[in-house]
Amino acid sequence: MRNRLKPFVFIGALALAGAAAAQSPILAPRVPGAGPILDPDAAAWKQARPQKVALLPQMMAAPRHDKPAVAELTVRALHNGQWLALRLEWKDASKSDRFVTDQFGDQVAVQFPVRFDPKQLPAPMMGNPGGRVNILQWRAAFQRDIDQAEHHALGAYAHAIVDLRELYPNAVVDLYPDQVLRATDATPYMGALGMDNPISHPKLTPVLDQMAEGWGTMTVKPDQHADGKGVWENGAWRVVITVPLATESANSPRFEPGGQTLAAFAVWEGGNREVGSRKSWSAWVPLRLAK
Amino acid sequence: MAKVYNWQIGREMEYPYEAARPKKQFAMVMDLNKCIACQTCTIACKTMWTAGRGQEYMFWNNVETKPYGFYPLGWDVKTLEQLGVQDLGGPVYRGKTLFEAAPEGERVLGYLPEDMDYANPNVGEDDCTGLMGQGAYLTLPHMQWMYYLPRICNHCTYPGCLGACPRQSIYKRPEDGIVLVDQQRCRGYRECVKGCPYKKVFFNSMTRVSEKCIGCYPAVENGRQSQCTITCIGKIRLNGFLSTPDRAREDNPMDYLIHIAKIAKPLYPQFGLEPNVYYIPPIHVPPAYLTQMFGWGVEEAIKTYRRAKDDTRLLAALLLFGSTPDIIHRYQVEGRYAVGYDESGTEMVRVPLREPIVVRAVYDERHQAYRTNVT
Repeated sequence: MRNRLKPFVFIGALALAGAAAAQSPILAPRVPGAGPILDPDAAAWKQARPQKVALLPQMMAAPRHDKPAVAELTVRALHNGQWLALRLEWKDASKSDRFVTDQFGDQVAVQFPVRFDPKQLPAPMMGNPGGRVNILQWRAAFQRDIDQAEHHALGAYAHAIVDLRELYPNAVVDLYPDQVLRATDATPYMGALGMDNPISHPKLTPVLDQMAEGWGTMTVKPDQHADGKGVWENGAWRVVITVPLATESANSPRFEPGGQTLAAFAVWEGGNREVGSRKSWSAWVPLRLAK
Repeated sequence: MAKVYNWQIGREMEYPYEAARPKKQFAMVMDLNKCIACQTCTIACKTMWTAGRGQEYMFWNNVETKPYGFYPLGWDVKTLEQLGVQDLGGPVYRGKTLFEAAPEGERVLGYLPEDMDYANPNVGEDDCTGLMGQGAYLTLPHMQWMYYLPRICNHCTYPGCLGACPRQSIYKRPEDGIVLVDQQRCRGYRECVKGCPYKKVFFNSMTRVSEKCIGCYPAVENGRQSQCTITCIGKIRLNGFLSTPDRAREDNPMDYLIHIAKIAKPLYPQFGLEPNVYYIPPIHVPPAYLTQMFGWGVEEAIKTYRRAKDDTRLLAALLLFGSTPDIIHRYQVEGRYAVGYDESGTEMVRVPLREPIVVRAVYDERHQAYRTNVT
């Protein structure tokens, strides 16, 4: 298979290099305010110039999806001196935010080099050994959990009980171990939830703050800084991902007003069975923050 | 892809990773002539491991009726159809494995089941191949037939799930060959659900990651056989460790059944995963069907099995099934007994090769009653 992939690696690299050269930068004007910029419909977004970013199918690593659904992302950026925010928009006729075996969720991610050095850029595709990237990934399923918990006025931990009836309206279950055992005794029956897997664990934010140094190395950071909010309306997603300009973390990039860095993007159309490496992604796009 | 040797197909084959055989390999033999589909194994597993949220329709152990039962629906016929007709006519398999048949951009040929494919775990139960016509009589193989196929994860030497995972969340333990999904590392891509032809990796929609049979590793680590094995009322299962054929030991019951007597066969060896659950084929089923399911050598296996009473070692190994909850590492025939030993050489069980026959008088003097054969 390694041999079979070679021509695709070559073509893919060429295409991405071309895209990077042609890409105009994303400009993030400074707006007044403090704290995270969460609202995708805030008036401040009118100040941000929309930038179209071309997406290509991920063709370099197996497994891959030959026909991912999303070919273009509209990106806007803002900052308020404390937080940077990106608003990402793409057309998606079907909202996919629940999981069963054969259903996948919509997702979008933005990636930054952890250290921005124009002479030594990490690979745009999830970095490389020594070239660490920070990947902030918003998931429709997490957004749904949070919206549901708010709707039902439940604590974040209650989402599992809500989910089963929504996935299978006629489900009848006698008893779960966690209903009769003490929490510590029930943990072994909870699988990844009992192991605190960040994918399973109920969230306070729909955005995962992660790092990677190449394919298959994606790791959720122990310290989470990002937040966001996504809204699906009229066949399109509007998703805001926001992150502090500076954190204590050695694995977060440091942004400065007046500074610049790079950003790359990936989108997964769950309805098209896009997941993991089956996705569309972009080359590095310059990102400039206003003073 | 790397080149690895798969003894079940008698040749080298392609696999995404280099071969790394474990020190010991978890294995199981199931005698399909004895299974009655009582599902005690299924329930033992269910109550032990999958009683939690998101596992409502998840059965790490299931028993299905062949040829018309499937869990999930159509799992094997779908994969066989994808793979296409292959030549199974000899000890060296010349067809393609699922790794070799993988399409561009995939690591293994497979399909992702629909969610509803898991909704009817007992579909096809007890369905026979056809009706018995007027004047039908008993033959071997039977004119119309069905049999029960109990299934767990095969803890394959070259697992499809492990090969398919793009982030190496699945690992095969070097100490016992048990294949596990790392519940902290998995991100629920379901490449493993697609890549396992036996469909023994399941997606949990509550935890949003994949889960599978864990080979009862806490028991195995303590020298005990798996729950599905020790609860089996038909005593159809033997759980232990299997050597490679070049290191087969005559005194290891697993080795004797699989490598020496060759009566237990792997499930769909043509897929190329070198699965480690072995089946003694049912003697009443047409060999063509059995060859497709268990590979080359099925007819010979049935002949040997039917002559088991003449091979004391084989008979002794078969009598150890269900005789003890402990893993038998070594066994021997001592006089009229089959004796099983644990890893340290301690005797764990002693089974008579022949139960004594007692002839009782028709009239019971003490109770002043006639004995009948009723009950």
